Amino acid sequence: MDEAEENEGRQLEKGEAPLIPPVQYEYLDHTADVQLHSWGSSLKESFEQVATAMFNYMTTDYSTVEMKEVHEIEVSADDLLSLLYHFLDEFLFLFSAEPFIIPRVVQITEMDLDNFKIKARGFGEPFDIAKHPQGTEVKAITYSNMQVHSDSPTHDVFVIIDI
Amino acid sequence: MRTYQEELKFIEKSSPNCWHIKKGFVDNMKVDGYFYANPSLEKLMFDELKQSCNSKGFGGFLPGMKQIANVAALPGIVGRSVGLPDVHSGYGFAIGNIAAFDVSDPKAVVSPGGVGFDINCGVRLLRTNLHLKDVSSVKEQLAQCLFDHIPVGVGSKGIIPMTAQNLEEALEMGMDWSLREGYAWAEDKEHCEEYGRMLQADPSKVSSRAKKRGLPQLGTLGAGNHYAEIQVVEEIYDQYAAKKMGIEFKDQVCVMIHSGSRGMGHQVATDALVAMEKAMKRDQIDVNDRQLACAHIQSEEGQDYLKAMASAANYAWVNRSSMTFLTRQAFAKMFKTTPDDLDMHVIYDVSHNIAKVEEHFIDNKQKTLLVHRKGSTRAFPPHHPLIPVDYQLIGQPVLIGGTMGTCSYVLTGTEQGMVETFGTTCHGAGRALSRAKSRRNLDYTDVLSALEQQGISIRIASPKLVMEEAPESYKNVTDVVDTCHAANISKKCIKLRPIAVIKG
Repeated sequence: MDEAEENEGRQLEKGEAPLIPPVQYEYLDHTADVQLHSWGSSLKESFEQVATAMFNYMTTDYSTVEMKEVHEIEVSADDLLSLLYHFLDEFLFLFSAEPFIIPRVVQITEMDLDNFKIKARGFGEPFDIAKHPQGTEVKAITYSNMQVHSDSPTHDVFVIIDI
Repeated sequence: MRTYQEELKFIEKSSPNCWHIKKGFVDNMKVDGYFYANPSLEKLMFDELKQSCNSKGFGGFLPGMKQIANVAALPGIVGRSVGLPDVHSGYGFAIGNIAAFDVSDPKAVVSPGGVGFDINCGVRLLRTNLHLKDVSSVKEQLAQCLFDHIPVGVGSKGIIPMTAQNLEEALEMGMDWSLREGYAWAEDKEHCEEYGRMLQADPSKVSSRAKKRGLPQLGTLGAGNHYAEIQVVEEIYDQYAAKKMGIEFKDQVCVMIHSGSRGMGHQVATDALVAMEKAMKRDQIDVNDRQLACAHIQSEEGQDYLKAMASAANYAWVNRSSMTFLTRQAFAKMFKTTPDDLDMHVIYDVSHNIAKVEEHFIDNKQKTLLVHRKGSTRAFPPHHPLIPVDYQLIGQPVLIGGTMGTCSYVLTGTEQGMVETFGTTCHGAGRALSRAKSRRNLDYTDVLSALEQQGISIRIASPKLVMEEAPESYKNVTDVVDTCHAANISKKCIKLRPIAVIKG
């Protein structure tokens, strides 16, 4: 999506918000920035988790984020690493400009690893500094030592984000 | 993979404050690498290397030394790849890394990773004619007033009214826009690198996504290591140079602003990395690390990036100018006078993350080079044509922001720096601990009370993260500055200490 059209999303119906999955991510030591590490029973789960890990860094109390809206994103790429890169970058953009959405739950609805395409939904609300205690700003996603261990049973994903 | 002991064979001390990274340390090195460090700083560098040898490629990150060497392997690099005393692992380039490329070499490259995501992140220092005793009694109110005036932290929005049309103009005009709109003084421009405006800026090369991120954030400080500090002069090392900068006495009050190009710059860098990946495949440019994406300087992607980068740099100057305006308003309100009567002039404004076309001597021949400075500061010597008239005799002022609660420095550029480091010196303390480790080892209440005991007022958007920016998380800024002074790539002029900190 090159054009800067607004991702309007829609309000969630009552009872439509998904369950919050258990935390399957951690923050590893990196001198300048933050290295996200996530894992899951599938690559889809690891990708969803790593996006959540990024958003969790933006507020010091993630539980204040309510699921009021849902926004869809769609990305395509040339290989697995750039797919992960664009997937996270698209979500970062959703947060960084109108409509300023911070998702509480990220769900991948379609994941095509042959053509490197993802469709995903973020369930959350606009970031509001009066409601959400401010965390750290994520400037960008980096390729620096990015790793996707698709063959490992825990599907480990490592991403360094620039703070 | 080599063991730590094997790796060490490629590293040799070349002078008391400088280490040499020999060719072969990584593949394809075209020039040698060098980094500056004193004994306590070099330990951090070697620890990073050791740690990465132990991680055996699962997770982990590239140590700064490897990154300096990877940069030395880029096409068209000339002279040397240099790490400054505050160098540490970054992404692609190390933070505190300088590399210059010969513009006349068709193979030479420009790399957004050599500039960084926060394009033209930099530091600005304002002076006042106030003495510490004028502000002591109102320090808390003054800190609060600044905090109320300057939007800080993730998700904050600017208060300077901006339209999409204004933004286009600001990207093109830089501080000329601020001046026209009444946010800056004419003299401010004189005391900025590039006079606060890069002429090659072309806003049509900036994506609409970048503009969309930049529009709501103009005039905001940001988060992470960005801050505004009220400081006082603690020590003057060079009376003459200090006087030229309007610093006359100990305990004189100054304001330091550290901020950059916000989401605008981050998106410009991101866009360029994606565009250059494609160009690299087409032009068959090989690099050692994917984050070192680059393009030939003269290619369309290269030129587009330089024009977009210049626009983002202009945005950063407008951003710092807007916060200068807000700071002047806050002080004027507090002291019921005008910023003019408080003599609130810009001493200087330096850029930390930028690529510039400059003239340098390589093997006694004058060359036009594209100098990438990432996490480092230009430090031109006296009589250099690109520094303002006021500073012709003393050399360019270099502003070194310390860490929260420690001290900051003003340095001046030297001839030696021109010879060894492309007229460049350090930019700050440089991180020592990871953010994750800071969170585990330090408690935010301890950090806050330590600041309070030092008599430093603090206003912070995310107090629970204050330990990430605690002095313990950084290298000692005095070590860094002293190493640069000892290596004579810059000279110490003034030491400042904070009395109030405003942070994201």
